[in-house]
Amino acid sequence: MLFLKFDRSNLHNFDWTLLAIVLSICAIGILNIYSAGYSYDALERQSPFYIKQIQWILLGLIAMIITFSIDYRFLAKGAYVIYCIAIALLILVHIFGYTMHGSQRWLSIGGLAFQPSEVMKLSIILVLARYFEDHKSNQPYKLRELIVPALLIMLPFLLILKQPDLGTALIIVLISASIIFFIGVNWKSFLIASSGALLSAPIVWHFLKDYQKDRLIIFFNPERDPLGAGYHIIQSMIAVGSGGLWGKGFLNGTQTQLKFLPEQQTDFVFSVFAEEWGFTGGFVLIILFMSLVFWSLKIALHARDLSGTVIAFGIVCLFSWQVFINIGMVLGVLPVVGIPLPFLSYGGSAMLSFMAAIGLLMNINAHRFILHR
Amino acid sequence: MENRFTVLNVPETPEFRQKFKIVVTVLLIIFSLLLIRLWYLQIIKVQEMREKSESNAIRYRKIQSLRGVITDRNGDILADNLPSFDVVYMPGIAKNHEQLIQRLQILYNRKNLEIDLSQQFGKTMRPYLPVKLEKNVGMEKVAVVEANSVNLPGLYIDVSPVRLYPKKEMTASLLGYIGEVGKDDLENGESEYSLGDITGKYGVEKVLDPYLRGRSGAELVEVNVHEKQMQNLGRIEAVPGYNTVLTIDTRLQEAAWLGLNGKAGAVVALDPRDGAILAMVSAPSFDPHLFNAGISAEQWKNLLNNPLSPMTNRVVSGQYPPGSTYKLIVAAAALEEGIITPQTKLFCDGTFTMGNRTFRCWKKHGHGQIELHRAIVESCDVYFYNVGKMLGVDKIAKYANLFGLGKETGINFPNEKSGLIPTQQWKLERLKQPWHPGETISLAIGQGYNLLTPLQLANAYASFANGGTVWQPHLIKRVETAEGRIIKKFEPVKTATIPLSKKTFELLRSALWGVVNEQGGTGRAAMVPNADVCGKTGTAQVVGLPQDPKARRLKKISAFHEDHALFVCFAPRDNPEIVIAIVAENAGHGGAVAAPIARKMMEIYFNIQESDIRPQVANTAETGR
Repeated sequence: MLFLKFDRSNLHNFDWTLLAIVLSICAIGILNIYSAGYSYDALERQSPFYIKQIQWILLGLIAMIITFSIDYRFLAKGAYVIYCIAIALLILVHIFGYTMHGSQRWLSIGGLAFQPSEVMKLSIILVLARYFEDHKSNQPYKLRELIVPALLIMLPFLLILKQPDLGTALIIVLISASIIFFIGVNWKSFLIASSGALLSAPIVWHFLKDYQKDRLIIFFNPERDPLGAGYHIIQSMIAVGSGGLWGKGFLNGTQTQLKFLPEQQTDFVFSVFAEEWGFTGGFVLIILFMSLVFWSLKIALHARDLSGTVIAFGIVCLFSWQVFINIGMVLGVLPVVGIPLPFLSYGGSAMLSFMAAIGLLMNINAHRFILHR
Repeated sequence: MENRFTVLNVPETPEFRQKFKIVVTVLLIIFSLLLIRLWYLQIIKVQEMREKSESNAIRYRKIQSLRGVITDRNGDILADNLPSFDVVYMPGIAKNHEQLIQRLQILYNRKNLEIDLSQQFGKTMRPYLPVKLEKNVGMEKVAVVEANSVNLPGLYIDVSPVRLYPKKEMTASLLGYIGEVGKDDLENGESEYSLGDITGKYGVEKVLDPYLRGRSGAELVEVNVHEKQMQNLGRIEAVPGYNTVLTIDTRLQEAAWLGLNGKAGAVVALDPRDGAILAMVSAPSFDPHLFNAGISAEQWKNLLNNPLSPMTNRVVSGQYPPGSTYKLIVAAAALEEGIITPQTKLFCDGTFTMGNRTFRCWKKHGHGQIELHRAIVESCDVYFYNVGKMLGVDKIAKYANLFGLGKETGINFPNEKSGLIPTQQWKLERLKQPWHPGETISLAIGQGYNLLTPLQLANAYASFANGGTVWQPHLIKRVETAEGRIIKKFEPVKTATIPLSKKTFELLRSALWGVVNEQGGTGRAAMVPNADVCGKTGTAQVVGLPQDPKARRLKKISAFHEDHALFVCFAPRDNPEIVIAIVAENAGHGGAVAAPIARKMMEIYFNIQESDIRPQVANTAETGR
C-alpha cells in the first residue's frame, strides 16, 4: 500500500529547514502569548494561554507527522471522502455546535473545542488538487469545466458564512480562486464567473439574518462602529506605531499590558509583538513568514505531479492570505475581519490545521524524487 | 542523478515556471506592502503614536496646594483651610449602581438626610475614574458613609481643602473670595496658572494671590483601559502658599460690623502714623463660603443683581458726597488763603440767599453771630456758605487735592475709585457747562458734584491728624512662611505732604476736638473719656445727586431718599493713633447714627470698659438711632 511507504528515503528527504522556520515562528508565538496574558496585576499573572498554546503546538506536531507519513497521493485519492467528512462536520456544527461571541463555530469533542471550518481549509485544497489532477488540460479551463469546482467551493463557503465566520469563508474562497487562477482559466469564463458571483450576492444577502447583515456592513465600513471595530484598529495602530524601531521591550508594551489592545491572544497578536519588539521584531517576523511562503512555493514548483503542486500551492495561498489579511488588518490597511495569524495566534484548531499543512508540504517535498511505479 | 528525476517531473514546463515567476512577484509585492506599512507606522509615525500611547495610559493628576493662612495683626485667623469631605463613587468597584444608591438613600433616610442625585451615571468605559457624588457634605453624611463602608462598596469619602473664613460676612468684602481660575485669566497670559487652579477673585485673596496660592503639585500615574491606577510614575509635592499678616485688628473690624447693625454702609479705620488699615467693613456683605462648593448660577445672579451691591467693597469703591465732613478742608483753605481769621464772625439766621436761590442751615433759626471754632463745632452751614462764596470752587479743589482727594489713595485693592473734586474747568470739559457760583455754595458744605470714598475721607483726616503727611493706606503687614520666616515686609509709603501752617493745624484740631467734647458739639456721641476724640459729623443729602447713576437709580426707591450719615474722627487729640471714617447709607444724621459706632470702636481701641462711660453719652447714642 502506498501510505505504508515510510522508508528511510523519506527521512533522508525530511525538510528540516521548513520545520526550523515553523518552530521559530511558534517560539515567537509562545513568548508573545505569554506577554499578552501577562499583567501587572498579580491576581491575573500567569494566564494559562501560553501553556495551552505549547500543548497545541505539540499536538500540531503529531498532526504534522501524520500528514507527513501518509503519502499525499493517497490523501488526494481520498480527497472526496475527506471533503464529505468536512462538509458533514460543518453541518453538525449547525446542529450541535456551540456558540461563542454570537457565532456558532465550535464542535465539542471530548471536552475540546474544535472548529470544523479549519478542516475545510485543507480539504478544499485537497479536493481541488484531485479534481484538476483528474481533469488535466493544456488549455485554460472553460466555464463548463469549472462548474464542479465552483459547487465544491460554494457549499462550504455558505455553510461557514452562515455560522457566521466571514473570515474563514473568505479564506476558503480566496484560496480556491487563487488555485483556479494558477491552474489557468479562460478570461471569458473568468468574467462570466465573477459577474455571476456578483449577481448572486444579493441572493446570499437575502438569506442572511439582520445581525449578520450588520456585521457585513461593519466589515466593509468600520467607521460605522467607532467604539467597536474602529476603536480596536486605532488602539492596534497606536500599539504598533509606539513600538518604534526597537520596541518597548518584552512585557513592557503599555498598550498590551494595560489592555488598551483588544483580542491580544488571537487576532491582534502581531500588534503585541510589534509594540514590544518594534520594527526590528516585526521585520524579522515578516521575513520568517516570507521564508515560509517562498520555501513552500519552492516545494510546489518541484512537486512530482500536478496534485502535489496544487496542494503545495494551495498551502502557499493559505499562509499568504492569512498573513496578509491579519497583518494588514492590525496595521489598519484592511478592514477588521477575524482571521488568525498562522502559528502566532492562540487557537487549537487553526494550529492543528496549519501544522497538518506543513506535514503535507514535507510529504510532497519528500516524494519529489520518487518515480511512478 | 538529478536529471533522471527532473525529467519525470511532469508539471515543470516553461509556462509553468512563468506562472511561478508571476506568483513570486505578487507575493513579493504583498510582503513589501506589509513591510512598508510597518515602516510607516513604526518609523515615520512613531512620535505621534508614542504620544497617543502615553495619553492613553498616563494621567497627570494635579495636587492642589494649601493656600496661605491670613491673620490679623494680632494673629487672629481671618482665612484658613478646612478639609472638605466629598462622597466619591468608583463605578469599577461598585458594580451595581442602583443598589448602591438605594442603600445609601435608606441609610440617609434613617438620619433624615437628603441625597443629592444631580450626578448622572451611565455605562462608563473608565470604571476606575472616581465621580464626585456629593461635594462638601456634613459630618453626619461622612459618618453614615464611613460607618457603612462594608455595605457600600465603591463609595468612599475624599478629603480636599476648602477655604474657611471664621468671620464670615464681616470680612468678606475685605478678604474677597476664591474660585477656579477662569478662561479669561488663562488667556490673559497668566502662564503661571493652569486650568483647575484656585485663584483669588477679589479683595486680599486676589491682591496677595501670588503669595497665598503656593505651587500646585502633580502626580503622574499610569492607568489601564478601565482607568484603574496601575502604578505611580512620579510625584511633585505641592508647595503650600505663604501666610499673610494683615494690618487689620479683628476687634475693631468686629465692632465696626456690629455697629453698622445691618445698615448698608462702610467703616474704615487706619493708623494716621503710617497708613495701616485697622478695620475695613462694608455692608451688606456676602457669605464667602458660597464659593467653596461652587456657587450656583442662581446665587451668583442674585448677588450681582442685589440693589445693595453686596459684592462691592464700599470703603474703596463706594463714592459719597462728604457732607459737613468736608468743612475741614474748606476751613483749612479759607485760613491758608487768608479769607478768614479765627476771629472772623459771620451771621447765621438759618438761611443764605444767592440770586434767587435760598440755602438753609441745618439749624432752622440759625446760629446768630458765629466764628470759625463754633461754626465747626456746631457745623453751621451758613458760615461755610459765606466762606465758600469767598473762596470759589477752584481754591476749594486746590486744598482738597492737597489732602489727597480726587484721586486714588493708591491702596493695593481691586476697583479703587478716585472720587471727584469738581473745578470750573472740569465742569466745562465734562458737562460742557460753565460753573454757576451757586454751586460753590453747596460745595462748601460737601454737597454737589464732589464725591469721596470712605477711604479717601479717612486718609484725608489721617493726613490732617498726623500734621500733614499723606500716607498710602495699606492692608498688608507682611508675608511669611509657615515657620515664620519673613518673605516680604510692606513698608509704609509717603505720597505727599500738606503744606499747612502749624497755626491752622492747631486751630482746626481744637475745633474738631470741640465737635466731640464741647457743649453743643454735633459729634458728642463719639465722646470717650480720656481718649480726646476729635471728629466731624456729616449728613449727606442723597436727593440732588444726579451725577451718580447708581444714586439716580436708587432715587426711585423711597427708602433710599434718606440722608447718608457720616462721621470721621481721630484720637487721641495729640499724637493721634487711629482715624475712623463711617458712612451709614440712608441712615439719618451723622452725629446720631455714625458717631456712636466710632465711639464703640474707640472704646475698644483704647481698651475702655463699659462702666467708665458717662451715662449721658450713652443716652445720646441711643436716642440718635
